[in-house]
Amino acid sequence: MTDHIVHVLPELEGPPTAPTVMSPRPVGKPRARFARLVPNTVMIVCGLFFVLPLLTLARFSLQNVPTILLGSSTLFKKWSLSGLTKAFSAPGFWPALKLSLQLAGGTVLLTLGLLLPTAIWVHMRLPRARALIEFLTVLPYMIPAIALVAGIFVIKPHARWFLNSDFSLIPFYVVLALPFTYRSLDAGLRAIDLRTLVDASRSLGAGWLATLRTVIMPNMRTAIISASFLTGAVVIGEFTIANTLLKETLPRFQATYVGREPQAGYGLNLLALLLTIGLFVALSVLTKKRDRKGASFAVQMKRATTMALETTP
Amino acid sequence: MTTLDFISVRKTFGTNVALEALDLDVREGELITLLGPSGCGKTTALRIAAGFEFADSGAVLVAGSDITRTPAHKRNMGMVFQSYSLFPNLTVAKNVEFGLRTRGVPSNQRLHRVAEMLDLVQLTPFADRYPHQISGGQAQRVALARALAVQPRVLLLDEPLSALDAKVRTTLRDEIRRIQTEVGITTLFVTHDQEEALAISDRICVMSQGRVEQLGSPTEVYRNPTTAFVARFVGSMNEFDAEVTGPSEVTVAGQRIGAPGVASAAVGSRVSMLVRPEDLSLAEDGLPGTVTSVTFQGATTLVGVRLDVLDRLVSADVGQGAADKLQVGDRVAIGINGSNAVCEPVKAGRSVAVDEPVA
Repeated sequence: MTDHIVHVLPELEGPPTAPTVMSPRPVGKPRARFARLVPNTVMIVCGLFFVLPLLTLARFSLQNVPTILLGSSTLFKKWSLSGLTKAFSAPGFWPALKLSLQLAGGTVLLTLGLLLPTAIWVHMRLPRARALIEFLTVLPYMIPAIALVAGIFVIKPHARWFLNSDFSLIPFYVVLALPFTYRSLDAGLRAIDLRTLVDASRSLGAGWLATLRTVIMPNMRTAIISASFLTGAVVIGEFTIANTLLKETLPRFQATYVGREPQAGYGLNLLALLLTIGLFVALSVLTKKRDRKGASFAVQMKRATTMALETTP
Repeated sequence: MTTLDFISVRKTFGTNVALEALDLDVREGELITLLGPSGCGKTTALRIAAGFEFADSGAVLVAGSDITRTPAHKRNMGMVFQSYSLFPNLTVAKNVEFGLRTRGVPSNQRLHRVAEMLDLVQLTPFADRYPHQISGGQAQRVALARALAVQPRVLLLDEPLSALDAKVRTTLRDEIRRIQTEVGITTLFVTHDQEEALAISDRICVMSQGRVEQLGSPTEVYRNPTTAFVARFVGSMNEFDAEVTGPSEVTVAGQRIGAPGVASAAVGSRVSMLVRPEDLSLAEDGLPGTVTSVTFQGATTLVGVRLDVLDRLVSADVGQGAADKLQVGDRVAIGINGSNAVCEPVKAGRSVAVDEPVA
């Protein structure tokens, strides 16, 4: 398969040309062609590794053909979105989606609200504590979610009032998202000369909040957007804790729905996966630096002068 | 009247004393340079004036009012930093406008003030550029315009030229002085570059280990350094091992030299005599030596000579005529004019046999 695809790669030799001293199109050296061949092959193999399961998932969930008949002869037969529409109309789907999105929003806000000032404080005042904080924030990587769940059982009798609320998941999700969020914010802070920018802003009369809003956050846009999307992705896909606390989030709905309606359930999974991929594509597009210029200074000056002339009696 | 006063300002970081007890008065419209090696406390003093650090004891006054505990954003100080401090997300014009915005100045006035400031630093055509689209020198000029836009009471400059290349540094240095004089703003300038300090200042405050070594005009500091540290730090110095042989006289390698600076030392004691290159000359009856280098410097030529008797390398600033025919390896004799020399008693166990002239 790989060989076949490699042959499809564009040939370097051009069409036959009139005999000239120098060929108009450079002919690649065999060594250079080989050097390109290896990474191309690896990329194609990896691509297939990711895409093939998705394609089979798509066939299973979106083709109205019995599984036993799914073969090359039925490749283009009976594709339909009816499985998905069925899932959308299943009882509990929309409330689960709504709850998951609310939890994602809440988690993003709480995470940023806690971690952004912490990261700034560590960079400005406690640079020596940076390693410790980094270690603490990767702990959720090392400690499995099930350990958190065990912790929940310990506090359950004392905090029933809290755990009864759907939004009690937010603090747990903040912990789960810590490694992604903190690293992203930390990288953003390292990329700017934070101390000088803060000092400059304060010497120009801006207080801490104004400095955060007008100087730090705009210059960390990429980091903040990345942190938010990563946190959102963690929340949208989390199952263990939601299941323990019996909250009807989207992953929990999916888990039970797949048992009832395998075809539509997997269709929903595929959709969720594509949405996540879409989210990351959107992330990379959104974080590309845009030149958002307003009116040029000369134009603003002209406007101001005209206004001044108009208002002068 | 805007003056800046430090009264017995002390600051420590852990066990490290950054400022012992700084007393300094910057007069209205004056530019004072804090000059010293790294770790001498000059930047700490500036940051205390800016409000980024707070003094352990003592007071900082602006125009007579105590601002020792006032937070940075309420001090109305303009500051230019060593590293480029422009806000990367804002254009040049918006950067200059920033301080006016935080003060709630109406937009019409803001724009006019920005135009005025950009004109002052001659960067009007760059108003819509982003910081990454201008050069380092231009960035520092924008930073200066931004600091001055808010009409601060005092201007604080924290080594604003050190990140720039030599040519831009000289041009910008002169421009800062021009603008400072034009605006007439009280200014505290921090640098470790003595050439910069000599060129730009009304007065220089030479600092070492958290203490003021000397405060005086550039000429005073250069011509009459009061301590050996100042003599060594400001300008170049040649160092001679000498013996005090009279009330104002020393002997270097058998040569008697008049040196008023030795007055306080006891006859018979040994001193280290510091002499500027321009106080060394080619003389018939001087100390013999061999020329090791000839460096053309425009109006004068710096001649490196290894003295026979002391086996020491000295440098002499020699006028054009005398230096014209000199070549490496020539035999010469060096005369010492001790009238401006600084003499430092040699401490027991300390050798002054330094082989290189002190830069």
